[in-house]
Amino acid sequence: MEITFEHVTHSYDANSPIANLGLDDVSLKIDDKKFTAIVGQTGSGKSTLVRHINALLKPTSGKLTVGDRIITSETNNKNLKPLRKKVGMVFQFPESQLFEETVEKDIMFGPMNFGFSESEAKDAAHEMIELVGLSKDYLQKSPFDLSGGQMRRVAIAGVLASNPETIILDEPTAGLDPVGRHEIMDLFKNLQSKGRTIILITHNMDDVANYADEMAVMSQGKLVASGLPSDVFNNQELLENDLLTLPQSAQFAQSLAQKYFQFDKLPITIDELSAEIKQQVNGD
Amino acid sequence: MEKIISIKNLNYTYPDSKKPAINNLTVDIYKNEWLSIVGKNGSGKSTLTKLIDGLIDADSGTVEIDGQEINEENIWEVRTKIGIVFQNPDHQFVGATVEDDVAFGLENQGMPREQMVKEVDHALELVGMHDFKKRDPQTLSGGQKQRVAIAGVLATKPRIIIMDESTSMLDPEGRRTVLNLIQNLRQQQDLTIISITHDISETELSQRIVVLNDGQIVRDDIPKNIYNIGTNLSKFGLEEPFSDELMSTLRDSLELPEGYLNEEELMKQLWKLRSNM
Repeated sequence: MEITFEHVTHSYDANSPIANLGLDDVSLKIDDKKFTAIVGQTGSGKSTLVRHINALLKPTSGKLTVGDRIITSETNNKNLKPLRKKVGMVFQFPESQLFEETVEKDIMFGPMNFGFSESEAKDAAHEMIELVGLSKDYLQKSPFDLSGGQMRRVAIAGVLASNPETIILDEPTAGLDPVGRHEIMDLFKNLQSKGRTIILITHNMDDVANYADEMAVMSQGKLVASGLPSDVFNNQELLENDLLTLPQSAQFAQSLAQKYFQFDKLPITIDELSAEIKQQVNGD
Repeated sequence: MEKIISIKNLNYTYPDSKKPAINNLTVDIYKNEWLSIVGKNGSGKSTLTKLIDGLIDADSGTVEIDGQEINEENIWEVRTKIGIVFQNPDHQFVGATVEDDVAFGLENQGMPREQMVKEVDHALELVGMHDFKKRDPQTLSGGQKQRVAIAGVLATKPRIIIMDESTSMLDPEGRRTVLNLIQNLRQQQDLTIISITHDISETELSQRIVVLNDGQIVRDDIPKNIYNIGTNLSKFGLEEPFSDELMSTLRDSLELPEGYLNEEELMKQLWKLRSNM
């Protein structure tokens, strides 16, 4: 689904003297079926931005278009279900929202809420549990007997079970170990290849370099850059102003360029870096 | 060195589980030490924290805190010596404003109001959240919430601070700020720090690293020696150091020395190869 923000401003505590801008005149287009990463320091407005996409928050001014829906400050809270079925949101620490007595019931809750029949929801639960890397044995367990990483997977399965077109992920791998992190990131990349639009909030610049097609950088509620990761990570102004940190490969290339090596454009993945080093050492 | 925590032959198995979460674990932790406990999800890190704080009772074995073995009578007293900063700050908020929240632990101790206001201000100052003290914690971002949670722990002046994956939600700069802050506090206030993480890059400031796997200690060493394990770290669910991963992609066409090099050493090797061209 294509998502367009047009001059969207969001003010928290709008009517109080301590009003502060969560979003400040943001205009951004998020392409259909692309993997878009949203980065920025803590408190920069990333979570506020994505919460507009399924109308959990509404603009104080400006408008956004999500597929065929237009969301403005006037948007009514009724009839948001079709939108929320299309836009699945995995919040930070989604495991804190588990509540049912079995994993199966927990995964079925979302789809049934969106009008799936019980047997459809059950089928979805059986399909999703394996998709997130857990065996069907887990379905009859209590979610509270699982480890943190397993609970995370169950919570993600619950969002995927409603078959959303667009999936928003707010730091989905925070707290997962590296093996778990790669598995979950591969899962999202795989969902993208099956036609989903993926929007990922992250602090992990290596994940951005390795998985994202596009990226957007937020700072103090403003959109300060967007485009291809290879271009954005080469934006000197952002780096000089500390609005962005580099992936490990780009950091290494930067240090390596102190002597003998030269990079016209900083490589952002290990494969790019490795190819550059080989070429410069061995020559052509 | 003086021990502050002494754990002997500790065992714990969760109800309904066949596998022990903590398996005959013995370790001493020293005063003013910064110890990192690393291991993959499910390796027993969080269970160990709960056992140290007496939140769950061991099946067998003992935990001694500051010379006292934890038992039913002294558990509350022992707990005042330990502050835990959990992974998810949302589970730790009780106050309507940031300052109320930080004050919560002090109110429980019955501290006079005037002193409490001072302590709260000071704690918020330390974590760089003083400007936010009148805000509703729910309006803060994840990282800001975590800094407030850390202030809440600092205000109660514990002897030991356990950081249970508590920087995993912060952005790189926030993480650095907090780790440096913890380092300063450790030095200035004679605190013992136990940080639990699976991010090997967060262990740089610690003096010792314990690697947990299946509830057992598989490595106990200074950081440099742990980093030297290289590729084998992934066996324990930890990230292979970047330099090691890069080297393995270069070996097919460049002549590099055997074994693990850190980033600086690898860079020097590459400069040498390039200058010899």
